[in-house]
Amino acid sequence: MEVKIYTIPTCPWCMKTKEFLKENKIKFKDIDVALDKKAAKEIINKSGQTSVPVIDIDGKLILGFDESKLKKALKLK
Amino acid sequence: MTKNTLRNTPRRGIKGMNNFDVIIIGAGGVGLAAAMYSALYSARLGLKTLVLGASHGSELPIGGVITTTNIVENYPGFIRLTGQELAKKIEEHAKIYELVTIREEKVSDVKKEKDGFAIKTNKSEYKTLTIIFATGTKWRKLDVPGSKEFENKGVNYCALCDGPLFKNKIVSLIGGSDSAAKDALVLTESAKKVFIIYRGEQIHPEPINMERIKKNKKIEVINNTNILKINGDKFVQEIILDKPYKGNKKLKVDAVFVAIGHIALSDLSKKIGVKLNEKAEIIINHKNSSTNVKGIFAAGDVTDKPFKQLITGVADGCTAAYSAYEYINKN
Repeated sequence: MEVKIYTIPTCPWCMKTKEFLKENKIKFKDIDVALDKKAAKEIINKSGQTSVPVIDIDGKLILGFDESKLKKALKLK
Repeated sequence: MTKNTLRNTPRRGIKGMNNFDVIIIGAGGVGLAAAMYSALYSARLGLKTLVLGASHGSELPIGGVITTTNIVENYPGFIRLTGQELAKKIEEHAKIYELVTIREEKVSDVKKEKDGFAIKTNKSEYKTLTIIFATGTKWRKLDVPGSKEFENKGVNYCALCDGPLFKNKIVSLIGGSDSAAKDALVLTESAKKVFIIYRGEQIHPEPINMERIKKNKKIEVINNTNILKINGDKFVQEIILDKPYKGNKKLKVDAVFVAIGHIALSDLSKKIGVKLNEKAEIIINHKNSSTNVKGIFAAGDVTDKPFKQLITGVADGCTAAYSAYEYINKN
């Protein structure tokens, strides 16, 4: 399972999402869109949103921190 | 960090794993500070304290609204730190006490019982002798045509979270308070231009932030003006003002950040009979943070105290914890 998370360092929901993934021992790639302008543009167009975090799980996007959606997508109990 | 423990202290309330002397609903800075203060009494007198906070939907993670503030400069002991750093420090302080439990659970129901209160969450049920409501507020939403349609498509509420997505763009910020000014300053770190649009005569941040606004060449303040409509395609492209700005009511912007105040999260307290004012804020006795319902106290932004800062909310949280302790002792 490939997990990518598009974040901004000052965003509290981004931190929360990363904490959640770490607690559940999910490996993920963290893309800081405050630094990576190309990735920022790409994720805005792909998600249709100007908001982070965006979590990409095998190509399926979850917008914002939503524990139940994350659990379902990651097949966690 | 070592837990502060005084063992063999009797619990004053009802026995049982899910029974507490004090339950604090809300895990922002105020709720955590109330827990810390309650813990000081816990250590001495055995008051068992639970803090319940949720981080779903519009609510914020543990730490609350201060986590969305970039720089805090009005909290004694810390000359300058980020809101998230301050929230973390308060959380760590509350957590060192063994009789304090912090759980990320959303409270769905509160009921009065013979010996106290029953609280139901999305995960469990609890009983408690006293409740402190520190539920805080949520952002007031902008209500103009286009504001809902373009939410998170250029209409954003958290400048600190989403501001960096607007690098070298032109953005607007609706509001005139100190929070609005701080948001505008945060936005200048990414955007090339920030218009502050305020309906009143003059924006009214704290003097230090007013100076920063005046000195910042990226910021332009448009007072006495309302936003009427938001237009765009996939994302925000322009806003329509009720008065012309430089001869035009249309203003090209890539984003509309909103900082027009907050709404008290007081539904649960209302359900259990706590009196609210016309703004739906919990009416408290300003001396001891008590409400009209015996055994229920409140503190922070959810109350009718007019000056809403973390520093004042924390003070009221400590007062509420002390009052809860006194109430338990007397009853």
